[in-house]
Parts: sequence; structure tokens; C-alpha cells
Amino acid sequence: MNDEQPSVIRRLRTGFRNSPRGFIFFSLLPTLVLVLVFTYYPFLRGIVMAFQNYQLFDLTNVHFIGLDNFKTMFNDAKFKHASINSVYWVFISLILQFTIGLSVALLLNKRFRGRGIFQGFVFYPWALSGFLIGLIWKWMFNSQIGVINDLLIRTGIIHERIGFLSDPNWALSSVIVANIWYGIAFFAIMLLAALQSVPSELYEAGSMDGASGTRKLFSITMPYIMPTVITTTLLRAIWIFNDPSIIYGLTNGGPAGSTHILSSLMLDKIMYGGDYGAASAIGIVMIGILMLYTIFYLTVTRSEKLGDF
Amino acid sequence: MKRPLQKALKVVFLTLYLMVMAFPLYWIVITSLKPQKEIFSFPLHYWPSQLTLQNYINIIKISKFHIYIANSLLISLSAAAIVVCIAVLSAYVLARFRFRSHRHVMLGFFLTQMLPGFVALAPLYLLMSKLGLINSRISLVLMYTVGLIPFSTILLKGFFERIPSSLEEAAMIDGCSRMSALIRVIMPVMLNGISATFIFAFVQNWNELFMAVMFIDDESMKTLPVAMNSFVMKFDVDWGAMSAGTVLSVVPTIALFAVAQRFIVDGLTQGAVKG
Amino acid sequence: MAAKKEKKMLLGTVAGVLLIGVLAGCGDNGDGGSNGGSGKKVTLRMIESLTSPARTAVLQEMIAKFETANPDIKVELISPPFDQADNKIKTILGAKEDLDVLEVRDQTISEFSNNGYLEPLNDYVKDWPDYATEVDVAKTVASLGDKLYFITNGMYQRQMFYRKDWFQEKGIQPPTNYEEMVAAAIKLTDPSKNRYGFSFRGGPGANGVPDTIIQNYNFDNIDHDDSSFLKDGKSMYSTPEAKQALELYVKLYKEGSPKDSINWGYQEQVQAFTSGVTGILLQDPDAIPALTEKMDVNTIGTAPMPKGPSGKAFTATGGAGWGIASYSKHKDEAFKLIAFLSSPEQNTYFAIKTALIPIHSSASEDPFFQTDMYKTLLEMASKPDEFVNLKANTKYPGTSQWGQVAMESGQSLLLGKVSVEDTLKQWDKFWADQRANLK
Repeated sequence: MNDEQPSVIRRLRTGFRNSPRGFIFFSLLPTLVLVLVFTYYPFLRGIVMAFQNYQLFDLTNVHFIGLDNFKTMFNDAKFKHASINSVYWVFISLILQFTIGLSVALLLNKRFRGRGIFQGFVFYPWALSGFLIGLIWKWMFNSQIGVINDLLIRTGIIHERIGFLSDPNWALSSVIVANIWYGIAFFAIMLLAALQSVPSELYEAGSMDGASGTRKLFSITMPYIMPTVITTTLLRAIWIFNDPSIIYGLTNGGPAGSTHILSSLMLDKIMYGGDYGAASAIGIVMIGILMLYTIFYLTVTRSEKLGDF
Repeated sequence: MKRPLQKALKVVFLTLYLMVMAFPLYWIVITSLKPQKEIFSFPLHYWPSQLTLQNYINIIKISKFHIYIANSLLISLSAAAIVVCIAVLSAYVLARFRFRSHRHVMLGFFLTQMLPGFVALAPLYLLMSKLGLINSRISLVLMYTVGLIPFSTILLKGFFERIPSSLEEAAMIDGCSRMSALIRVIMPVMLNGISATFIFAFVQNWNELFMAVMFIDDESMKTLPVAMNSFVMKFDVDWGAMSAGTVLSVVPTIALFAVAQRFIVDGLTQGAVKG
Repeated sequence: MAAKKEKKMLLGTVAGVLLIGVLAGCGDNGDGGSNGGSGKKVTLRMIESLTSPARTAVLQEMIAKFETANPDIKVELISPPFDQADNKIKTILGAKEDLDVLEVRDQTISEFSNNGYLEPLNDYVKDWPDYATEVDVAKTVASLGDKLYFITNGMYQRQMFYRKDWFQEKGIQPPTNYEEMVAAAIKLTDPSKNRYGFSFRGGPGANGVPDTIIQNYNFDNIDHDDSSFLKDGKSMYSTPEAKQALELYVKLYKEGSPKDSINWGYQEQVQAFTSGVTGILLQDPDAIPALTEKMDVNTIGTAPMPKGPSGKAFTATGGAGWGIASYSKHKDEAFKLIAFLSSPEQNTYFAIKTALIPIHSSASEDPFFQTDMYKTLLEMASKPDEFVNLKANTKYPGTSQWGQVAMESGQSLLLGKVSVEDTLKQWDKFWADQRANLK
């Protein structure tokens, strides 16, 4: 009371913290510091390598080579092939993961007997790591010792063993199947969470108007969960594009490079070639593609407002 | 007329779906209960000739799986908890306020999702090495936290936006500071979103392999995915151990789902929006 | 009410976990062997590459013995999973993170030495009596030029494993050369029974078999100091013999191996043999434990590696071993550890436990190596004129990429997308470029 100065300072301080600007600052600070230091800084250092001759075999000879890594990359048939594969890989996986995931979420949104067990089976693949998924499916897909061929032959569906991972006509489809199997759980759980938040008043109003189930889905449910749908499909597309682990585990890009996507090709350059320069160059192109895609996607879905882009 | 058909379709879809989803799990569980020699014997056995728990005993007794499970639990739960705490704050701010760099922050978050991680792994190792964080559990908690903040923020922001801001304004008029309004009034309503984020973060951490291999050296600090990866050897994959490990590694996640399920299901309907 | 309680519990656990997490992380860092003062306890950090849970256990047992004998030295063993191990070693070395002893392989020696990561051991072995009994092959595999970079801990050499019962059934003898092997493989193949002759590997490491056949078909002209090349300086892929050899290889895949094997790696190759899908396997001795564990031992026969048209065969001996990081602060202690692990007693024990060929000449007398699975290897070693040792070519920068290049182009060849001639041209160009660009 008689000590004026400190209380003013205290008020100033708490005032800053409680003022919108102070609150914004303090709330965002940890996030920004962490992301800048541990995500952007290492990444920028990694990106520099795209313009260098950076081969693990000879680190004494690292030097800038301008755009040579990019030139080599664009002239490489493998790169073109992997780019096309990436498109199939992302869209087929995404569309099927989403449709199945949404159907499952809609079913799970209602109470029925055995829902708990069903839910367990829907979610468990998500509890496995990508490397394990790759390993398990590689084992099951094996044409000689794998269980899928065995099952198909025993049930008489096929008579000759199928080389799911070795026949170039099958290989890409097979890795996509494994990827879909893995990714349904993500959509199911995220969309279920969104569905749970649809206020029941909306449905009650809908029922009074006599709307059918399908009508309700498209006129009430979907618009309400649209922000979640747009965000999750966009992010999921990005992740599927960027994640090499299933392909790495299942086929390693083979046979003859027929299942490489851009991210697995990049990993390949690091793991086997030790060529960080080439890998970084692919990485930069991947980011470019994703940025263009994101802008396109957000424009088409007219959701600038949603993410405040 | 339409109803029974619809119902039948639903049942067919559910059954088919369940079979496809469940079969790999069935195969893993069955393999984990087979004696070593039977796993690769032909013709394949769809039911073990003799059920054994030997694979489970081996991975606990010889491979010391309980240590790895404890490490993974500790690291995944800590990182998930920290992520939620940090992301709730930034998501709230980004949902409620418009400020000059708002757009840039959001863009910056989105961009992190596009960065192919492997390019950064070597520089990241160098950074952690300089910070003296190699071979400590804290390095993984830190990495997992950082990796998940952007997505968790984006996710939580969506949940915040569905809650009317009149809610905390009322509380602030009643004399709460913004912080306590957030914690006391908004968070309880958000519990479904928070649990979803927490589970998502937990599962990502629980499964992460590459950083765990790089940053941890000591056996006593290794995580579950690393331990499982060691069953892949030069000439052999130890499927007995691998399948038993898989079963054990799925259990905690399923348990977490079971617990958190109530929050996701009951979430908003029990919250203040309705009541 | 119940929901409220659960909410509280959740918040409680979250807070608790946070606290534990922070506490637990802090105590762990900082004891990474930085106490360099004399008289104090020295901590050595050591990393292995060819990891398996069983091998790690053996190493830990040996290290414990070393620590008992040297109470002032503590060893921290790092055992990353096998398929990530070399990458982790490279990352540690690149960051100069504390490391004293590391496992170097024939595949990584030139990369590591090129970057100055390895301490040459020539001076250390001068005062090490056991070096005298180490066999020459173990020394050459660990050297580049006149520098010794590691002390081999075990050697690999391929031999032929075959299904005795299948061969008896068909009334054929184990093959002695490549043509016989392909013929036998085709005879054994019966897709309706899911039986195939040869355990083929078209995935990682696919270059092994075609490289060996091509070398053997060029037997008289191969430059023994530069084994991908001929004495006249051309690559071995440029000859008509190479074409013959590669055609045989394609035939082996198309008629005597499972179609699926185009994408198989080491594990599938061995699994196919242990599961009774394939009848012939060419592999290193460290595959033996997987075979004896999963198969009826009486059905497994062993035979020497097939020969080429010259009636002789090149055998390549691979190896891995312990080296010292060039920036290690405790090199003397590090070598002490290596010397201990490489003594005849310890190395023989290690070799037996991990199914490798020991490095000391005395060890072959151990009864363990007289058993069926190993006697063929000894037989091959006893006829050095028939089974000529050829040092693997590891000095070129491309050595590490070659496996990948050969795998991808090889798969195109096996799928029939590219002809034998064009494949050979591609391979010839790869090696010619390597040679031209060598500093």
C-alpha cells in the first residue's frame, strides 16, 4: 500500500499478460520457439545439401554445385516414374481411406450391440508402426510362404500363386492395399470425433421436417463436419505423399523401381546411395508439389476462411 | 421395404470389413501362440497344433520387454501430455484472436507437415549432439513434442471454433482471467477434442522408430519399436518374438481407446453447450 | 458425477506423467565417457553393426569378462537394430559424437576410411602377440592399401546348402559347377507342389550371384587386385563370357526359382529354404543357426561353391571387425578391448556362438568346426588352388551404390524389360566410370 512502485509494475505485468497482445505472445511463444529451433533450423540445413555435392562416401569433398542435383534428377526416368506413382498412391489411398473411414465412423456413431469390439478392430492397425505394417504385409503377401496366397488357393479362388509384390502388374496395387488398410483408422477416429460434436438439436429439427437418412447426411451432418473433413483430407494427403515407410518395408521400390514413390526414392538415395544432395533435391521438389497442391485444394474447397490462409 | 435391405447391406459391409481388418490380427495372434518350428512349416497351420506361451515368456525373460514397454509408455505419455498443454494454448489463441502474423503462423504450421523428415535427420542429430541430448529419454520427448505441436494445434483450433466465444466471455465478466476461463470453462467442454488429440499424439509417439533408433543408445532406455525392429536380423525375422511383441504393443493403445472412448462419445453432449 | 471424477483423474495422470517425464529425462545425459584424466575410470563407447539379439548377448558376456579383468575400464555397448545400424554408425561418426570402438564391415571400410573416421591399427598390432596367429585372409579383408583398419571378428564365406532328401528323390548329385546347378534347380522345380530349385534373391544384395558367376566365367583374366576388372583394364562385364554367365543367371531365375523371389532379400531367401520351398541355397555360415533351428538337420546337405568352366572357383571372403574411431579420446584402452575380444580364446568363442569363421589358424582344430555344417568350408579352405580367394573390390566410391544399381537393373533384366546385352553395357559403363573417376 505504501509501496507504490512495485504494485504498478505488477499491474503492468499482469496487465500485459491479460491483455490480448500479451496473452497471444505468451501462448504462442513455446510453440514458435520449439518449432523454429527443432523443425525449421535442421530442415534448412538439410535443404542446403540440395545444392551441394554431398555424398556420404566422400565428405571431404562437399562443395556447391548449383543446380546439378536437380538436372540429374529431372533427367532420371526413375524420378518421372516415381512422380506418377505418387499420384496413384496418394489419391487411391486417400479416397478409399476416406470413404471407408467415413462409413465406419457413421456406423460407429450409433449405438449397437458389439460396437466396442467392432471399434477395437477398426482402430488397432493405427496402433502399429509403419515398419511393422510393412513387415507383416510383406510376409502375408509373399507368394510362396505367405498366408494370403495360401488362403486364396485353399478356398479355390485362384489356382496359380500370385506374386503380389513381385509382379509389376500387382505390386503397386498391393502396397496401396496395405496403405489403405493402415489408414482407415485415422479417418474413422477423427471423423467420429467430429460426428460426436454435431448437436442433436440439428437432427431433431431435421427429423421434424421429415428428412430421410441420406438427406440428413448430406444436408446436416456433412456441412457441419466439413471443416474437419477438409483439414483431415488435406493433411492426410500430405502425409501419405511424404511417408515412405510402408513402401520401404514392403518392396523397397521394387521390382525394378516399379513401386517407388517420391518419398521412397528419396529415402533410397539416403539409405543406399548415401547421396544426401540428390535426396534433398527430391525433398525440395516434394515440398513444391505439396504447396501447389495445398493452394489448389484450399481454393477448390473454398476454405480460405477455415484455416485463415 | 427399404429398411430391411439397408440393414442387410449394413450387416454385409460390417462383416466383410471386420474380416479384412481382423485377419492380420488373427494371424499375428495365432503366430504368437505357435511353437517356433511351426511358424514356417508347410502347409500353413491356421490353428496351432499345440498352443504355447513360450514366445511371450521369451520376450519378457530374454528380451526384457517390460523395460521397453515402460520406456515407451513414459516417453509417449509425457510427450502427448506436453503437446496437448502447449497446443491448447496456441490453438485457443489462433481460434479466438486475429493478429497481424496470424496467417504466417498458420502457414508455418501447415508447412511443417510438408517437410520430408529424412532430409533433416542428420542435421537434427548434430543439433541434439551439440545440446548434449543424445542418449536421453528427454531427447525423444522433445522431438515427439515438437513434431506433433503443429498438427495438434490445427486439430484443436477446429474444436475451439465450434465453441461459441460467448462462453468464456460470460466467465470473464464474472471475474475470471482469460487463462482461468480457458481452463475452467472451455477445457471441460473441449474434452472430446482434447482426448482425440491426446490419443493421436500418444499413438504417433508409441510407434515412432527412426528417431528412437538414432537418439537412444542404452538398452535400458530403448523404446518398443526399436526392440521390435531388432527381431529383424540379417538372415531371419524372428516371427515368434515379433508377433508376441506386436500383441503386447497393441494392448496399451487399445486400453487407452477404451478409456478415452467415453470422452469422445459423451464429449459435447454432456458439456455446457447443451446443459 | 462419474464423468467428472474421470475428468479429474485424467488431468491428474497427465500432470503426473509430465512430472515423471521431465525428471526421468534429466538424469540420463552426460555420462558419455568424457572423463579423460588418468587414474580415473575410463568409459569406452562401442557400437556393433551386424546386430541380432543373440549376438548382442554374447558380446555383452565377453565385455563383462573384459571389465572384470580391467576394473578401470567400463564399456557401453550400443546395439542398434541390424537394418538401421550402419546408418546410425555413419550419423554418429558424422556428428563426432563420442565413440571409441566401432564395427566396420567390408562394405563400409572404404567409406569410413575415406572420411578419416578410422584410426589405422598398424602401430597397435606391433605389440599385440596374437596378431601372429591371425590368418592372412582376415588381415586383407580389414585392410585398404597398406593400412589395417580393423581387427576382423569373424569371416563369411558362402557355401552350398541343399536338400539331401529332394536330391535323393530325383536321383541327382549335388552340383559342382554353375551349369549343373542350374540344371539341378530346374529338375527340382515343381510349382504345383510349391517347390523350386534355387533360393534366389533379386532384392537387396542381388548382385552377389551374378557377380560371382561372371567372375568365374572370366576366371583366367580377372585382375586379382581389382576384382571387377580384367587384367587388361576392361571391366569384367564387357566380355562374351559375361554374356554366357548372365544368360545362365536369367535361366536360373526363370526356370529354377520362384517368380516372387525377384523382390526377395536375405530373410526371404533363407526363409524359403527353411520352409521347404526351395532346394538350393548359397549362403554364409551365419545363416546356419536359422537353418538348424527350423529344419530337420538330416535333410540339409552342404557342398562347396560351384565352379566355373575352368574347373576352378573364386571364393570371396567377407568380414567385419572392430575398428577405432579416429577422434576417440581413449585409443589405447580401445585397443586393449579389441585385443581382448580378438584373442584366440574369445574370438573362437564368438565365432562359434555367431556361426562365423574364426580368425586364428589354431581355431579350425576346434571340434565345433569339424561338424557337417562347417566341414565343407574347411575343405574349400584346404584346396586354395581349386577355390581361389579373391579379395572383394571395396576401394571405389561406387561400391556402396553398386548393390542398388545391380538390383534395379537386374530386376528389369529378369522381368524381360531389358536385354542381357544392354544390362551388361550398363554395368560395364558403371564400373568403367568408377575406374576413370578414381583419384
